Amino acid sequence: MEKFKLKVFRYDPTRDTEPYYKTYELPVEKGMTVLAALFKAKEEQDPTISFRYNCRAAICGSCAMRINGHATLACKVQITHLLDKYQTDTITVEPIGNVKPLKDLIYDMDWLVDKLKRIKPWFIPKEKPPVDGTEYRQDPYDHHRIDFASDCILCASCMSDCNALKANKDFLGPMVHSKAYRFAADTRDGAKKERIEAVLEDLNLEWCVRCMECTTRCPKEVQPYENIIRLRIMAAEEGYKTPGEIHAEIFEQDIYNRGLLNEMLLPMRQEGILGAIKRAPFGIKMMLKGKVNYADFFGGHKIKRLEEVQKIYKAAKEKEKEVKIKLPQIMGVIYEDKRKTRKRVNYAETGGNE
Amino acid sequence: MAELKYAFYTGCSAKGVAPELYNSTKLVAEKLGMELIELEAATCCGAGAVQEKDEFLALTINARNLALAEELGLDLLTICNTCTLMLREAKFKLDNDPELKDAVNQVLKEAGLEYKGTSEVTHFLWEVIDGVGLDKLKEMVVRPLKDFNIAPFYGCHIIRPPYLIGYEDPDNPKSIEMIIEAIGGNPVDHTARLACCGFHSFWSAEDKVTLKLTAMDAQSAKEEKADFMVTPCPLCHTQLDAMQEEAEERIGINIGMPVLHLPQMIGLAIGLKPKELGLEKHVISTKEIIQKVA
Repeated sequence: MEKFKLKVFRYDPTRDTEPYYKTYELPVEKGMTVLAALFKAKEEQDPTISFRYNCRAAICGSCAMRINGHATLACKVQITHLLDKYQTDTITVEPIGNVKPLKDLIYDMDWLVDKLKRIKPWFIPKEKPPVDGTEYRQDPYDHHRIDFASDCILCASCMSDCNALKANKDFLGPMVHSKAYRFAADTRDGAKKERIEAVLEDLNLEWCVRCMECTTRCPKEVQPYENIIRLRIMAAEEGYKTPGEIHAEIFEQDIYNRGLLNEMLLPMRQEGILGAIKRAPFGIKMMLKGKVNYADFFGGHKIKRLEEVQKIYKAAKEKEKEVKIKLPQIMGVIYEDKRKTRKRVNYAETGGNE
Repeated sequence: MAELKYAFYTGCSAKGVAPELYNSTKLVAEKLGMELIELEAATCCGAGAVQEKDEFLALTINARNLALAEELGLDLLTICNTCTLMLREAKFKLDNDPELKDAVNQVLKEAGLEYKGTSEVTHFLWEVIDGVGLDKLKEMVVRPLKDFNIAPFYGCHIIRPPYLIGYEDPDNPKSIEMIIEAIGGNPVDHTARLACCGFHSFWSAEDKVTLKLTAMDAQSAKEEKADFMVTPCPLCHTQLDAMQEEAEERIGINIGMPVLHLPQMIGLAIGLKPKELGLEKHVISTKEIIQKVA
C-alpha cells in the first residue's frame, strides 16, 4: 500500500454545531507514527487541525487519542502496524472517549483533574523526613507493591475506554483509583484511611466491572485494573464491609462447604431477606424457564474429593501469613495473533511430560 | 488429526443457572469429535471474588484445579470466560514465580497433589477453531444459518488482558466471526461487540452501572438488525438474557434481543434440535429462531 487515509475527528465549537470527520490522504512511510501523520496532514494539507502533543516519546501522555476505536498514545503506534492490524487503508483518529471534546482531538481535562483532586494524588508523609537529610527509605518488597503503579503518566487512555465510566460519569475511573492505590499502598504515606474512604464513597470503588479495558489500554503497563482490586483488598483488610467483601465471603464458604457456588441462595445471602424478596420475581422467572437446580435450595450437590479441598483450604490460610506474593510484571502486552493450529501433544503417550 | 481429548472444567454457572450450556456443550462436543472428561472434583475458580479477599487461597484452589487436569495428562477446557481468565492468571503467576509455586505446592501436598504446570488452559471457542478446525466444522454443517444476522458478544475475559489471554488481538478479535461464517451465518458488526455486560458489578452497582451496560449492549445488536447475539460466556449470557428485561425497564426501552450460547449456535448448524440444545430455556424468547430453523 502506497497511500492511506487519515480520517480525523473535527470540531470547532465556535463554528460547528456538530462534530464531523475529514479525511486526508497520506503516503505510507516506514516508521511513521500516528502523531507524525497528523503533523504531516497539518503541515501540508490543513493547518487548522488541533491536537495535543509534547515529548513524542510515550513519556508525557499528551497525545492520547482514540485510534480505530481504541485509546492509545499517537506517538507510540505506527501507521504500518495499524494498517496491518485492522486490514484496512483507513486510520480513524478521535479524541479519547468518556470526556468532552473541546476542539478537534483536544478534550476537556478539567473534569479529570477534579476527579483526581478527590483522592489527593500527592505524597502525604507519615513521618518527618530523616534528620540526616537522606530520603525516605522503603523496603524493596514494599516498593515493588507500588512500582508499576508509580509509572502512570496520567494520559487517561484507561479512562477513555472504561466501560463503567461509559455507563456512569460519576465513577471515579481507573486512572484515579489506580493513583489512589499508588499512594495508599505506599508504606511511607500517612493518608491511607483518608484515601480509601474517598474511593469507597457511595461504593464508587465497587462500580468497576472488571472488564480489564484499562489494563489493556495502558501504554505504560501500570495495571490500573489490578490496582483497583489491590485497593479493594486493602479496604477489606482495613475492615470496610462492602458488598464485594460479602460476595467474596460467600464464595469462600461455598468452595469450602460444597466446592461450587450455590447461585440459588446467593441473593438471600448477599442482600438478606429483603433482597431475597426483591429478587423473588426474577427467581420465579428462572424457575419457569427450567434454569433452577432445585437441589441447590437444600444445599445442592457437592463436588467429589471435597475433603481434599477442605484440607487445602485450612493449610492455605495458615501458609498465606508467610507468603509474599510478587506483583506480576506484564512485560510487553502480547497482541500477536495466536490463532493458528498448534502442535498437539498426545499426553496419554508422554505422561504429561511434554 | 491429533487427539481432541480435554479435561472439562464446567464452572459454576453451567451446573447452576445455565444448564442448557452444560448440555449443549456436551452434545456439540461429541458431534465435533471432542472428548470431554469432566473434572468432577474441580472447585469454583473464585470468579475474581475470592481473588480480592484471599489471593493465596484463590491461587491454591486453582492450582489444585490445574493439578486435576495434569493428573489426567490433558489440557483443561473451560466454557466460561471468567473461569478461563482466573485459571490462566493462576497459571501465569505460578509459572513465573518459583517461590510462589513452591509455597502453593507445599499446601497441595497436604492432599497428595502437585502443580507441575504441564496442562494448558483453553476455551471451547478456541478449540473449535484450533482443535476441530473450521474446515471440518464447515463440512459438518447441515443447516447453514444463512438467514440469520448474528451479533458476536465476546465478553471481556476471553480477550482481555492480553498478557494473560493472548489468543487473539483484543482490539480486533475475529474468532467468533470466523465460526459464524463457517456455519453459514452473517456476522453483524455492532458497537458493543467487545463491550462489557456489567455482570461483575451487579451486586454493588446494579442500577448505577450494570443494567445500563446490559441495555446498551443488547440495543447495539438490535440497531444493527441482528436476529440474535451469541456469546462464549455464561456470565454474559445470564446478564444479557436473564437481566435484559430488568435493563429494559430501567432504561425505558424495548429490546427483546435473544442471546445464544456459542455451542447452541453451532449445534443448530450441525443439525441438533433446538430442544436438545435447550433453546426454550432462555428468558428472551427464541421462538423466531426455532421457527426459522424448523
